[in-house]
Amino acid sequence: MSAQGSRSWTVRLREAAVRAMPPERLLPDGQPAYMSSWIYIFGVLTIAALVVIIFSGTILGLKGPAWWHYTGIGHFFNSIHLWAVELFFFFMVVHLWGKFFMASWRGGRARTWMSGAIAFLISIAAAFTGYVSQQNFDSQWIATQAKDGLNSTGIGAFFNVLNFGQMYTYHVLLLPVVVIALVSVHILLVRRTGIVPPLPLPELGIHQAAGEPHDGAAAESVA
Amino acid sequence: MSLAAIVNLNHPASYVHWHFFDMSVSNLVVIVLMIVVFALAIALPFPGSRRRGRSEP
Repeated sequence: MSAQGSRSWTVRLREAAVRAMPPERLLPDGQPAYMSSWIYIFGVLTIAALVVIIFSGTILGLKGPAWWHYTGIGHFFNSIHLWAVELFFFFMVVHLWGKFFMASWRGGRARTWMSGAIAFLISIAAAFTGYVSQQNFDSQWIATQAKDGLNSTGIGAFFNVLNFGQMYTYHVLLLPVVVIALVSVHILLVRRTGIVPPLPLPELGIHQAAGEPHDGAAAESVA
Repeated sequence: MSLAAIVNLNHPASYVHWHFFDMSVSNLVVIVLMIVVFALAIALPFPGSRRRGRSEP
């Protein structure tokens, strides 16, 4: 590579990216032994639900409100979308509880914790804008009830729940982009710092989980 | 159509009132289910974990 090439911002960005996220850490071929517990599966279950949400939501958006209200297959995809969201939040809350009780912000993982917490809050807003975008009496009732609460905060001038076009744009574009970006950052941070090991139990003589490195960094060596 | 006949949803939501506590039954069911799943996820053994645990020093 020429000296001029090495000064290019694309080269510097690439080198920084590889330094921050080596391929063997990004896509490991094993996982720590301490992950042999059901509590560790709820993160990926949340992501699986998110994939179904995006897929079913794309179909709903392409076909439109008349389709999801008046056809059998439209009802089916509407239900898939709703129940995927129910499972998304169900799995995310169990994931949050599990990570909270194992203090998963340990070992330089504060940004991972914060990105997950913010993704949770933005997801609530994304779900809410979905409720008021249904184009039925239910959504009208929710919107008219919510507007007073939101207007009391002064946000009504920018976030008008009675405006279907605005709510739909938030629901299908702006908030999903933010959620997907935050989830992507969250996953990359998990890959960078490694899965958080269980808390030590000194009274039982367990000072370190099986597969856990001494410095608390990523340990992906035990399949 | 057939599933709708199993649970009749054609009525206002049922609520649980107890002092300050006020919650719809459906929300309560979901919260209880989450707690049960959380407890099971911690209590139930993961397939292969016992075998792997024995082989370690």
